[in-house]
Amino acid sequence: MTTRTDALPTQEMTINMGPQHPSTHGVLRVILTTDGEVVTRALPDVGYLHRALEKIGERVTYAQYMPFTDRLDYLAAMNCNCAWAWTVEKLAKIEVPERAEYLRVIVCELNRISSHLIAFGSYTADMGAFTPFLYAIRERERVNDLFEMLCGNRLTYNYARVGGVSGDAPPGFLEKTKEFLDYFEPKIDEYNNLISYNKIFVHRLANVAVIPAEDAVAYGLTGPNLRGSGVPFDLRKDEPYSVYPKFDFKVCVGTGERGTLGDCFDRYMVRINEMRESVKIVRQAVARIPDGPVRAKVPRLFKPPVGEVYFRSECPRGETGIYLISDGSVNPFRLKIRTGSFVTMSIFEKVTRGLMIADVVAVIGSFDIILPEIDR
Amino acid sequence: MGLKAYLNDIVEAVVTTAKGMRITARYGVDPREEVTLQYPEERWEIPQGYRGFLHNDIKTCTACNMCVKVCPVDCISLESVRGADKKMVLCSYDINIGRCMYCGLCVEVCPVNSLMHTPGYEMASVTRGELILHFITEDAAEIKARVARQVAEAAAKAAALAAIKAVEVPSSGTAGPPAAGTPKPAEAQAAAKAAEVPSSGTEPTPAPEKKG
Amino acid sequence: MEALALSLVHAVPPLAGVPLWTVTLLLMVVAAAVILVFALTFEGVGSLVLRKVAGDIQARIGPNRVGPNGILQFLADGVKLVLKEDIIPANADRLLFKLAPYFVFVGSFAAFVVVPFGVGLIAADLNIGIYYVMAVTSLVVIGVLLAGWASNNKWALLGGMRAAAQIVSYEIPVGMALIPAVLIAGSLSLQDIVRSQGGLLGIFGWNLFHNPFTFFSFFLYFTAAQAETNQTPFDLPEAESELVSGYNVEYSGIRFGLFFLAEFGDMFIVAALSTACFLGGWNVPFFHVGTLPWIWGNLLSLGVFLTKAFAMVLIMMWVRWTLPRLRVDQLMRMAWKYLVPLTFVNLLGVSLWLLVFRGKGIPGMIASLFG
Repeated sequence: MTTRTDALPTQEMTINMGPQHPSTHGVLRVILTTDGEVVTRALPDVGYLHRALEKIGERVTYAQYMPFTDRLDYLAAMNCNCAWAWTVEKLAKIEVPERAEYLRVIVCELNRISSHLIAFGSYTADMGAFTPFLYAIRERERVNDLFEMLCGNRLTYNYARVGGVSGDAPPGFLEKTKEFLDYFEPKIDEYNNLISYNKIFVHRLANVAVIPAEDAVAYGLTGPNLRGSGVPFDLRKDEPYSVYPKFDFKVCVGTGERGTLGDCFDRYMVRINEMRESVKIVRQAVARIPDGPVRAKVPRLFKPPVGEVYFRSECPRGETGIYLISDGSVNPFRLKIRTGSFVTMSIFEKVTRGLMIADVVAVIGSFDIILPEIDR
Repeated sequence: MGLKAYLNDIVEAVVTTAKGMRITARYGVDPREEVTLQYPEERWEIPQGYRGFLHNDIKTCTACNMCVKVCPVDCISLESVRGADKKMVLCSYDINIGRCMYCGLCVEVCPVNSLMHTPGYEMASVTRGELILHFITEDAAEIKARVARQVAEAAAKAAALAAIKAVEVPSSGTAGPPAAGTPKPAEAQAAAKAAEVPSSGTEPTPAPEKKG
Repeated sequence: MEALALSLVHAVPPLAGVPLWTVTLLLMVVAAAVILVFALTFEGVGSLVLRKVAGDIQARIGPNRVGPNGILQFLADGVKLVLKEDIIPANADRLLFKLAPYFVFVGSFAAFVVVPFGVGLIAADLNIGIYYVMAVTSLVVIGVLLAGWASNNKWALLGGMRAAAQIVSYEIPVGMALIPAVLIAGSLSLQDIVRSQGGLLGIFGWNLFHNPFTFFSFFLYFTAAQAETNQTPFDLPEAESELVSGYNVEYSGIRFGLFFLAEFGDMFIVAALSTACFLGGWNVPFFHVGTLPWIWGNLLSLGVFLTKAFAMVLIMMWVRWTLPRLRVDQLMRMAWKYLVPLTFVNLLGVSLWLLVFRGKGIPGMIASLFG
């Protein structure tokens, strides 16, 4: 580090890593106070993408709210759709047909793959290697093709419905999914060879922003950020929902293989390994999916019973929890969405103290935040 | 750090760089690895069920208002009047595809399957008004006037029929001057019917701009 | 130049009345103009090739709309840059802001005059060739610092400071890695260095194969020079995703174009120097190019030189699209803790080798075994 004599006073500089920045993963503003290259304080300023999604929920009906959950985390739209569907079904105690649950798991895991691809691609692009980003996008386009075949859209799917899914898989969908999985699994090894274990990349990520396990739990981190610190907590295993208990997969945990446990590299590798596990899950689901209806009968003007419910599911960026209060009418009374990215930002200031400006970019990338989730 | 670790660093850097460069070299020289679709000369084959622009088959549409009610962003607006055969007649049907979020809820809920998605996705416009699709080209006021006339005619016919029936039937005990129960003069009735044209159109809030 | 001027005056009688220094000056201007045209064309085409190579590596097509296969893309870019609005930030230091791109461009272009393109094709065969190149390319530091400071923008300032630290630090390994070639040739002049690699040994006459130390020298030079030219993995000063383009963030239009062109010019200089010093320059294997008539000899040697130089440029682009970038402290660590000791050890090794084996390289020794 730097040693300064008292004869040479230095002044701190306030730099604005503004809402428009190539590597803040959205419109995130970070106010950096630096001493040369070393950051003394990094204050995140969120809210540039606030669209009052929770307030909108009070004006629309339960079925009409589904497209809005697409926009909650647009890179993992299926997960958010299904989270909303599961919440309302938990409140109204609706029985979802098994084929619908299998389809939901397939699309959720495929979307987890595509979301982690973007996390991987944009992280390496932030680090300066522009090539893996394009490979990731190429893979993601194939997932989007699958979703386009299934529900008609490539980004904002609006696939889940209260009581099931909107439509059955068209003929050929399951075969194409298998083809994609066979094509994609060796690509993960290719990415590891290309960039993950590259000495420069490892040096940029190892030992940067180490989050010990107690801190991770205390600050409420969830998802790959928590598992990167060594805590093996995954909602799909510890509080299983839907048909996840029927699948066999590992919980990927950071191991400190190239630095300290809980550094950026661990969080990055957790995401790479999770892609492999998701491939496993989808393979099992495609092999065992039962026949049957894909939608339960739900009245057109759906009025759930009065009450409140909290349901949390494992989204690619952490735990997405929806707290829903219903007063018996067609519109929700209040809904609150707890997203993984928002809570992850709480540790941002602590973890960036003493890092360099280039490391701040590495930290933002390793947290894999996305602004629509933070600002809602 | 010791000499061994130092040399190890150098060797590892060279080896991992070489591994990465081998992969990029393969992509660089292999011409099959291009995935670019040269739009607009080459286009993606749109699968069945793609949620593109909306299209309403006016002849099948019953103006039930389900699509209007279910749209989360209020992009559909329609006006209808009750026609002579007691069915609703569409006077105007507009979809603001600039507002539409292509969620597909309206298509799902349409009971007669007249509203559907098309594979269209290209409609760059210069003004926002061009993005409002009018599915009924006739002027709404004209349609309303025409329907009003039809209703008036039907009412007149019905009144005339009823009047004839009343005269034909030799009613018992009512041979005196017409009682209050007998029908009023036909014109007055028709006029009364015409006056109460029910317009059950629903305007979206705020109304889409019709400029452009 | 003077000799050329003399022969020109003798060949063209009407010029006898003109003083010699005028003719020499005119010749110099013509040579500089030719080199400038070559430099600008290379820089333009180089930017296109960069994007095409990027496209190939990234599983996509590069620019292909302007002209067949996108060949005229650089012209379109150039016209666009020239026609753009010239924005100077309100509180920027106007004089320094306008001056900075020229320093950078001159620093890059002035080194072109000593590049040995062919047997007789060198704008100025200075007897301090390599020394001159090292000195002149340091002007870039001044330009980058000026750009960073005068932009009145903290991001630009950071980029400028990083660039200054980086370029100055990597000057040492670059110089040290080039000295083995100088020692073997016994002269700083680039034409002498190239000629010393010629001869009947063919490819094995290259300095690359002279002894194991020069072999490492080549890679050390290539690495250090890539840092000099701000290429990924050393492109911190213009880190697109961190500093939003670093020191040239406030530049627009042709001012930005000058920075951009200078970067490609630097790339060519690095490629040309590594070709001239380590890969045999314009020497055709097993052939004395000087024996051919003037025009064919020059054309052939020019072709050979350009092929080798462009191959080196392609390798630089290949590395650029593969590797992520180093953080600034890792960059400095690499320069001072890895490259500087290694190049010094290398230099020591080459000096000892030349002392012990009296200037002969391994291929030379093997050849002398066979007589």
